[in-house]
Amino acid sequence: MDEAVVAADVTKRYGETVALDGVDLSVADGEVFGLIGPNGAGKTTLVRALTGTTAVDGEIAVEGNAPTAVDPDRIGLLPQSFSPPARLTARELIDYYGGLYETARETDEILSTVGLAEDADSYYETLSGGQQRRVCVGIALVNDPDVLFLDEPTTGIDPAGRRSLWSVLETLADGGTTILLTSHSMAEVQRLSDRVGLLQAGRLVAVGTPAELIDTHGGGSRLVIDTDAADAAADALAAEGFDATAEPTSIIVEGVSPVDIGDAVAVLSAADIAYDSLTWAEPSLEDVYLQLTGETFEGAGARGAAATATAAADSTTTAVVDGDSATQAEQATQEGRQ
Amino acid sequence: MSRAQRIRAEATAAWHSFLRRRTAVFFTFFFPVLLVVIFGVLVRTQPTDGGLFAEPAGYYLPGYLATVVLFTPLSRVGSEIARHRDDNRFEKLATTPLTRVEWLLAHTVVNVAIIGLASLLILGLVLLLTDAAVPPLSGLVLLIPFIVSAVVLFCGFGALLGRLADTQDGVIAASNTIALPLLFLSDTFITLEQLPAWFGPLVALSPLTYFARGVRAVTYAPGDPYATELAVLAVLAVAFFVAGAYAIPRTD
Repeated sequence: MDEAVVAADVTKRYGETVALDGVDLSVADGEVFGLIGPNGAGKTTLVRALTGTTAVDGEIAVEGNAPTAVDPDRIGLLPQSFSPPARLTARELIDYYGGLYETARETDEILSTVGLAEDADSYYETLSGGQQRRVCVGIALVNDPDVLFLDEPTTGIDPAGRRSLWSVLETLADGGTTILLTSHSMAEVQRLSDRVGLLQAGRLVAVGTPAELIDTHGGGSRLVIDTDAADAAADALAAEGFDATAEPTSIIVEGVSPVDIGDAVAVLSAADIAYDSLTWAEPSLEDVYLQLTGETFEGAGARGAAATATAAADSTTTAVVDGDSATQAEQATQEGRQ
Repeated sequence: MSRAQRIRAEATAAWHSFLRRRTAVFFTFFFPVLLVVIFGVLVRTQPTDGGLFAEPAGYYLPGYLATVVLFTPLSRVGSEIARHRDDNRFEKLATTPLTRVEWLLAHTVVNVAIIGLASLLILGLVLLLTDAAVPPLSGLVLLIPFIVSAVVLFCGFGALLGRLADTQDGVIAASNTIALPLLFLSDTFITLEQLPAWFGPLVALSPLTYFARGVRAVTYAPGDPYATELAVLAVLAVAFFVAGAYAIPRTD
């Protein structure tokens, strides 16, 4: 497969600050590549380098050309914090940016694609934050680009709008458009990306498919039990072979499959330990992110909270039960075994 | 898509953006009206008393026109560049076929239209409210290249200011600081005789001087030479336009 984007040993310095430190990257034709990393990691600088809007050391090729020499009709860009003229309507903005290209998609088609057909004649400044961002995505699509760079495309968009835009991007990807997107939404990157790269302090510290990264860096599934008797609970579970760690008001049990939940509940019942809730979650890209960046949430039970939050975003991998329902959970688990 | 069509797309967006900022539209046209009313009607010219406004009313037409030719492009283009930079629009435009020259040309065209209308308004008010004589038709026609050249020049100057100033506030402050002395020390409202002798050569350094002298020659003193003033203005216009286009940010 041909490479749509290639970066080799890309380095960018702002005085003493190293924004990009020898980044090597390749994105294949038709691939969706997600770039994640903490604020200040260099994501936006890398997008700027790839689109030729900042000068860097190293080699970059987009569609086989230097970024500043690539045919502008073939690339699309949504810069971070981009805001077009506020007193033009959505339709006028699409017309305006479309008018800058050799060939442009039909304005109505784009408005429909980004879900703004009904608000096409509203001024940009009167649209909601999510609608404004959709206009911006529409602007990035006006020339039907082969390679699309999206720097935090869904920032400020409500969940429904975000999922709507995800569908837009998935349709583009299905049509063969190469997409490089940055995001702080792990759910977004996990859903959209064929491969993910994690930037940390200007270095690309991990690259792989979401599944590969999760397998390598995400850890196992975990069960978080909220209880005031964390130490006693951890001891009881450890005695039965569980990998349990006590936090001040909870226990984190690593490597627990759904069918093991009932066993853990049985151990607690046998030890007469009360608990408030059980939360089970599979590892996700957010766990990879936290693991590789070294970031943690403050306070007790932090990792469990992170896992829960992540899984909640996916809405398919979390199970939460309160203490009163635990017996039902145990029964259900045992029934599941049978 | 041809270059002309790209410029038209940019100019159309800029024109609509301007028209829909009602405050900007109001003050763009109210400012020169205010000047004409204050100086032409309230203060009035005093041909026999000496001091400021001692010349006949028609003498000051170049000064009134200079206010819009100078202030409007400086502040509009400078602010537009600052706004584009704040909103990352240049980063977006850098990935489109639109060039920096085309961008500045489009915004210059819009400024020519705005300032052309404001100039017509000033001309009408000066003729209506003061005892200035109607310039000859040839003089009115020759006003066009003078106004266009000056607008191009100061659009380029505005682009330079926009590049150098960090913020929109900075652009406004810088443009006022530069424009105000230029307005009064460019043979517009203050004659050379009212200035110290040593200051005379400095007046020749102001681009606005050539606008004022040329416009005065074609509207107030027919027969006076104007070709040199127009030529200097045109050369400066090209130089400032090129410098301004080059100064427009494309990268960080």
